[in-house]
Amino acid sequence: MSTQQPVLQLQNLTRVHGSGATEVHALRGIDLAVYPGELVAVMGPSGSGKSTLLTIAGGLDTPSSGRVIVEDTDITAASVKELAALRRRSIGYVFQDYNLIPALTAAENVALPRELDGTSARKARVEAVAALEEMGLGHLADRFPDEMSGGQQQRVAIARALVGDRRLVLADEPTGALDSETGESVLALLRSRCDAGAAGVLVTHEPRFAAWADRVVFLRDGAIVDQTVRSDADSLLSGQVAEA
Amino acid sequence: MKTWFHSWRAAIRIARRDAWRSKGRSSLVLAMIALPILGVSAFDLTYRSSELSPAERVERTIGAADARLRDAQMGGVPILQDPAGEMHTPAKEPQDGSWPSGPTDVTKAIPAGSTVLTDGTGSAKLTTAHGLLMTEVRELKASDPVARGIMVLLDGRFPEKNDEVMVTSHFLETSALSVGSTLSARNFDRPYRIVGTYELPDSLKADQVNALPGAFLAPYGKAVEKAGLPAPDTSVSYLVRKPGGFTWNTVQQINTKGVAVVSRAVALDPPADAEVPLFQKDGWGGNYAASPAARAAELAAVSTVVGLAMLEICLLAGPAFAVGARRSRRQLGLVGANGGARSHIRAIVLSGGLVIGIAAAVTGTVLAVILTLVLQPVLEGVMGQRFGAFDVRPLELLGIALLAVLTGLLAAIVPAVTASRQTVLASLTGRRGVRRSSRVLPLIGLAALLIGAAIALFGSIVTEQFVIVAGGSAIAELGVVAMTPALVGLFGRTGRWLPLSPRLALRDAVRNRGRTAPAVAAVLAAVAGTVAVSTYMASSEAQKKAEYTPLLPYGVASAFVPEEGGRDVPAVREAVQRAFPVDVRADVERISVGKPGCSQWEQGTGCGRYEVIVPPANECPMYASLPGGADPSEKYTPEQRRKMLTDDWRCKTSGSSGMYVSDGGLLVGDAALLKVLGVDDPATVKALADGKVVSFSRALVDEKGTIGIKQITDAAAADKAAEEHRPYPGEVDSLPAYLVPGDKKTYGVQALMTPATAKSAGLATVPLGVYVSTDRLPDSEQRQKLDGELAKLGSSIELHLEEGFVGNDGIILLSLAVFAGLVTIGAAGIATGLAQADAEADLKTLAAVGAPPRVRRTLSGFQCGVVAAMGVILGSAAGLLPAVGLRLTEERSQIRVHEQNLAQGWSGDSPLPDLPIVIPWETLGGLLVAVPLGAALLAALVTRSRGALARRAAT
Repeated sequence: MSTQQPVLQLQNLTRVHGSGATEVHALRGIDLAVYPGELVAVMGPSGSGKSTLLTIAGGLDTPSSGRVIVEDTDITAASVKELAALRRRSIGYVFQDYNLIPALTAAENVALPRELDGTSARKARVEAVAALEEMGLGHLADRFPDEMSGGQQQRVAIARALVGDRRLVLADEPTGALDSETGESVLALLRSRCDAGAAGVLVTHEPRFAAWADRVVFLRDGAIVDQTVRSDADSLLSGQVAEA
Repeated sequence: MKTWFHSWRAAIRIARRDAWRSKGRSSLVLAMIALPILGVSAFDLTYRSSELSPAERVERTIGAADARLRDAQMGGVPILQDPAGEMHTPAKEPQDGSWPSGPTDVTKAIPAGSTVLTDGTGSAKLTTAHGLLMTEVRELKASDPVARGIMVLLDGRFPEKNDEVMVTSHFLETSALSVGSTLSARNFDRPYRIVGTYELPDSLKADQVNALPGAFLAPYGKAVEKAGLPAPDTSVSYLVRKPGGFTWNTVQQINTKGVAVVSRAVALDPPADAEVPLFQKDGWGGNYAASPAARAAELAAVSTVVGLAMLEICLLAGPAFAVGARRSRRQLGLVGANGGARSHIRAIVLSGGLVIGIAAAVTGTVLAVILTLVLQPVLEGVMGQRFGAFDVRPLELLGIALLAVLTGLLAAIVPAVTASRQTVLASLTGRRGVRRSSRVLPLIGLAALLIGAAIALFGSIVTEQFVIVAGGSAIAELGVVAMTPALVGLFGRTGRWLPLSPRLALRDAVRNRGRTAPAVAAVLAAVAGTVAVSTYMASSEAQKKAEYTPLLPYGVASAFVPEEGGRDVPAVREAVQRAFPVDVRADVERISVGKPGCSQWEQGTGCGRYEVIVPPANECPMYASLPGGADPSEKYTPEQRRKMLTDDWRCKTSGSSGMYVSDGGLLVGDAALLKVLGVDDPATVKALADGKVVSFSRALVDEKGTIGIKQITDAAAADKAAEEHRPYPGEVDSLPAYLVPGDKKTYGVQALMTPATAKSAGLATVPLGVYVSTDRLPDSEQRQKLDGELAKLGSSIELHLEEGFVGNDGIILLSLAVFAGLVTIGAAGIATGLAQADAEADLKTLAAVGAPPRVRRTLSGFQCGVVAAMGVILGSAAGLLPAVGLRLTEERSQIRVHEQNLAQGWSGDSPLPDLPIVIPWETLGGLLVAVPLGAALLAALVTRSRGALARRAAT
């Protein structure tokens, strides 16, 4: 695993909101690398900086200092336009809910990044339907978001996050609005995509879902306080739950 | 290029589905853009369809003939005509100043071997079911193939015998007769049977009766003359068919005989202007095309109106797109998260404008075509003319439709830019925050306001150019529009002491200027226009009222019948007496010279006139005509002229302005007329009874105390004398006169004598009409009754009722105010919708801290009211500027004319012109108070007081 190039690299990342009396350190000196085929779970209490980490990793927010490297590109130096292009080609997002554009069908939602990138509608659609079918969602292709269940919507969102050449999926509490059973199925899909070669970062505060990850990173007050690999995750998790 | 195209396709798809999902908002914006497009397209279709092709026009004028030959009434001298045969002039300039006139024999100009059909026209007073109707009678064998196309038979058949006629459908309607009825004319007891109805495709509203040639006009003329009245004028033209038709050369040959020609061949293939000798003459140039400058000015005016209308629509529709963008903020954020760059976000919001614009263009154009097709008969009726072919000009319609697309796109530009400036993160998390408005725009606006106001001020104080004032005002107003965000900010300072709901509403409006400003600007623009026009109209109305000169004393009515020797006068007098609440009735007659059946101003054979002589000693030296026609006033210096006007009684204009009743203002009547006119001097009444001519004008009475009346029987000799500036030939009767002392206001009556006096002096009189004073002003019903009774007589009757100054601008002012009110409510409503979309979170917070549910209602009411009030206040202020400027300009130009007159000695000591500036308080009050209040109440009414629960997608 370590012989490969990481898909995402965070180097000494800090993020300060506000200044003076209202200064808040959201992230303090984070170092993290995510490799292809790896699913990393980020856990921590509210306000620990989980979501900030994710938005900065995806280029939606800029760090106060440090570097973010996605597939050899330092996105902290990229322009707004280049960042948008990067999100079309390299980074996929999955949010807690309302992931899909209500005006577009499932296939069109999945095809959107490709179409925005200038691929013809027909070609983008073929790719999108293929992606959906590969994930067992082919039957949803022509449904609008309000004709799908929450779990189905989240799975389509994962399909969109990984359409084309994209290999990095950033998921912010993707199961937060779902019941546990549906949540499991969404996580199972995410896990399978990582097994197929993608790199994933999953923000969650549910240990049950973190168990799907290869590695769990614990954040507190903007700093990584602990890291564990999958082999000893279970024991660690039980201790963490007991503490909480 | 390719990538650009594909990403736009995605954007349009999202916009299209979004528009469909929010149908209410979409259809509102669609209607706003489509309605003007519908109107303009329908106008274009109607205009183009009513424009006839040369072939259609020729068919309606000359039927199937090759030409119509018509006497040019120039005594047979060679003439020059235009290709259409509408204008002509003698080929040689008349040398001695006398224009050739008189008839010529057209038949001599008709080429040999032609087929000829005569087309005669005259008029007759026909009996209808209601009374009498003056109608055109046309003698044309309409069933002849040559005439086909001139008259279109609608019902029945063409007349075949001499006692048959057909009538236009409009005449049938007016006369309440029907096919099969009998028609006759006054003084002519021969009955004609109506056998059919027809229409003239070019004048559907014409009252016309068609008879066979020679069947009506000649016998009718004879009968009328027998009754002592002059026969009506008739004219004949000739429809001619000739193998080979009439080329431009043939037409010019026929012109040499004094005959004008309408030729089919020439109309279908007109000669170049260079080949038309008429157009080579001075003053007849070309096709009377408008000068390039006039065309440019017209174009500028049209583009200004179109531009302002588009600006107004953009200001109204813009916030609607902003609402859309705000509501779908999360969606735009998602697009951003998936790699949508700012250009993509802009494309999606702009696509919203594009989609609605295209939909509006299609809807407007399709509806216009359908409406024009369906309403074609109605439109033809209103225009009084049948369409040619239904003429669809795709390029013109496309151009108009493109305006709709453009408007949609323009309206979406600002919301698109605003939406694209949001960070993806802010869009996703729904974080708000004060959106800073541009700092540069208000400065530019202030500069435009100052420069525009300066230009307008310069225009109204230094020059007299309306264009400068109007242009300056327009620039200033655009400046105010640009300053709106800053001005809205000023309003926010007033909010500190307001109760919760209005304070929240005001703060919200001020903190979100991006959405408030366009709505306020839309209201501002509409209100400013309304206030400007209202102020200008109210001011000129006040001026008209001040300058109004009554023609008669208040409440007095007069009715004169100048024609046919006053034959209908007794009937008119009775009708007035019956219809009006008459107090005093004064019957009046006029002196008649020549045949008694002549009309008052008639110059025909056997008809004469008279002149009330102004003795040379009483003539103002500036106006006394000189032999040879020199201008007498040129003998005097401006100083002398002014002195004469102020000091010489002969030169002062008489204070007795009023109706022009008869030659010299001389009437024949009794003391009742004095009473009606308000002259109650006993000496005057006595003088009249004593057989004197009572004169209200000092100039008419000579030093011997008599008035001279000259009877002119030879009209031709009189005309010649007039040309040579000699006195008219005629016999003078001198009558003893009584000059009424003081300057009495007698409303145009200069002199009065009793019928007995006239008779004893050997002057013939005929009835002229009646004056009545009324107990109270006749109401509308009484006036309609009189109009109805007078219409039955079919005579031309001069009726006047003096009711003082009556303004007619009220309805225009009202409709302007209503228009501005509607725009205000619309714009404020849209802005409120936008505020509501934003305020959801605030409302939840409010509810959480215990605010009652009605706060939601009152808040939206105040939000709407705040926008309306700000727009109306700013608009009223902005509208007063151009109105006041225009009035000042007008005043300057009138003062200049006045000063010139004074310097040249053309006017004496008349007062300086005074142009009042009147503020239309009713309109302003309505706009300032009623409209914001109404908008607020409406918004409060239509807002649900219970908030929707936090919306979640169904899972």
